[in-house]
Amino acid sequence: MSATMTGLSGDGVQAVSIGAAKPVGRLADRVFVGLLWGCGIFVLVLLGLIIAMLFHGGLPAFRAFGLDFLWTATWNPVTENFGALVMIYGTIFSAIIAVVVALPLSFGIAFFLTEIAPPVLRRPIGVAVQLLAAVPSIIYGMWGFFIISPLMAAYVQPPLIEWLGPIPVIGDLFQGPALGGGMLTAGLIMAVMILPFITAMFVETLESIPPMLKESAYGVGATTFEVYKNISVPFGRTAMVGAIMLGLGRALGETMAVTFVIGNATRLSASLFAPGATIASTIANEFPEAAQGTLKLDSLLALGFILFVISFIVLALSRYLVRSNLKS
Amino acid sequence: MTSAVDPTFNIASSVAAKPDAVQAPTKVKVEGLNFYYGQNHALKNINFEIPEKRVTAMIGPSGCGKSTLLRVFNRMYDLYPGQRAEGQVLFDGVNIVGKELDPTIVRTRIGMVFQKPTPFPMSIYDNIAFGVRLHENLSKSKMDERVESCLRKAAIWDEAKDRLHTSALGLSGGQQQRLCIARTIAVQPEVILLDEPTSALDPISTSKIEDLIDELKQDFTIVIVTHNMQQAARCADITAFFYLGELVEVAPSDVIFTNPRQIKTRDYITGRFG
Repeated sequence: MSATMTGLSGDGVQAVSIGAAKPVGRLADRVFVGLLWGCGIFVLVLLGLIIAMLFHGGLPAFRAFGLDFLWTATWNPVTENFGALVMIYGTIFSAIIAVVVALPLSFGIAFFLTEIAPPVLRRPIGVAVQLLAAVPSIIYGMWGFFIISPLMAAYVQPPLIEWLGPIPVIGDLFQGPALGGGMLTAGLIMAVMILPFITAMFVETLESIPPMLKESAYGVGATTFEVYKNISVPFGRTAMVGAIMLGLGRALGETMAVTFVIGNATRLSASLFAPGATIASTIANEFPEAAQGTLKLDSLLALGFILFVISFIVLALSRYLVRSNLKS
Repeated sequence: MTSAVDPTFNIASSVAAKPDAVQAPTKVKVEGLNFYYGQNHALKNINFEIPEKRVTAMIGPSGCGKSTLLRVFNRMYDLYPGQRAEGQVLFDGVNIVGKELDPTIVRTRIGMVFQKPTPFPMSIYDNIAFGVRLHENLSKSKMDERVESCLRKAAIWDEAKDRLHTSALGLSGGQQQRLCIARTIAVQPEVILLDEPTSALDPISTSKIEDLIDELKQDFTIVIVTHNMQQAARCADITAFFYLGELVEVAPSDVIFTNPRQIKTRDYITGRFG
């Protein structure tokens, strides 16, 4: 091959055969490319190891209780009888409360910021929303424990128990003593925590809507609300669902703030006011007391694995939805 | 530059040249209109009249204010703080510029089609029905009739009739633009504003839209902004030439393209600048 290549320099100058030429800095480039590969693979390995560790650690629990682990509502360290149902229920239910509360607020803030707010107000409110995301989780926990819980116990829970408690079916959600904490309080705190994320993504979505499209809707005589309802929201629908899922994902894994207010009782109750537990709060509470090699530790690791799977599904779904919207 | 020459140029004086072109009552009368983007004085003392059921073209180099004037006609500038209009735009004798009239009412009477097709993210049928539902409460069959007649008028019925309930985003660019025209006429406006409606379209779609404009002027007063001088010559009965925010000349199209009064106009239409 090199023999034919030498013919390229036709002006008599004896060039090095292209086959024999050595590029400068070849080794450095190889090292660089190798490092980049390393960085990429590192993420995969790390993630794989975390999953494997959680699964391996939780395996004895799955072995001991089988799939019943998922829908058993007992959590009894004394008799070494463990089931994840209370925590799975608490995790999903409190996260859903958080999203349900945060969603309308996020919609309102995002639309106000993009469409209504005078430019003077736009920045301060936008920054304030972002700063909400910068407040550490433990601060929310303290705020929830010292401020919100007493307020809930004094002003919110008693009237709700009194008015809604006697109604059949719905009333089951509003039973028990007004302790201040519980599922609803945890959901409310988390709503404040996920609000900035959902809002930021809503703002981004609303800003990506072509002005001309909105103008055309205004052009057929639509009002601001009609444009929002019929054009902006449908246009950004999938990205918005993605944003909601992302908020849900954050709420599912939230630990500190929830541990402070949820009450940490491993009992299954339909009431919004009854103390409950989430996967994350249970792990945070019980990990220090779980000795190496006990079934309790295995069960906690199994709980972690379940949380991981739930979060993974939610996040994967949100990614898929956000991406499919960006394509179209 | 010299101030707008002869701003009160009277269309009636050239009626003799082409009687059928301009012998129509005035639909929109612009009187002493000034427009500002913040500090920027974008339209300077504009005076002219738009005849009913005729096509009026507005031409001029980019930034001359022609699109701005269009956006004044349907109060689109209201959406943006810092933009304001002074003077009068009389629509059937009523001033539509100013706070006393609700912009949504103005916009149902004066519809607009944009540079790029802007189908709403919904079905073809709902694109038409959307605007209608905002203002009228029609039965299912009446709505079907309205949708069909608008799609027919916009010359897109044959292409759309078998896919009325599929997404409008699946149509081609030219089809989408005709859908946008159909959507605009569905709310039964009296004036249709077209802001460079064919600038994003291929020549075949363009000629379809131009034919459509010819059809539509039987029922509607049409104002079209265009960068394409041939298009203005082909479609418009009246042509107005804008330069740097001033109305330089307005005359029947055959006059302005063959025998313009102003040197600026002549230079522009012969391609010497712009």
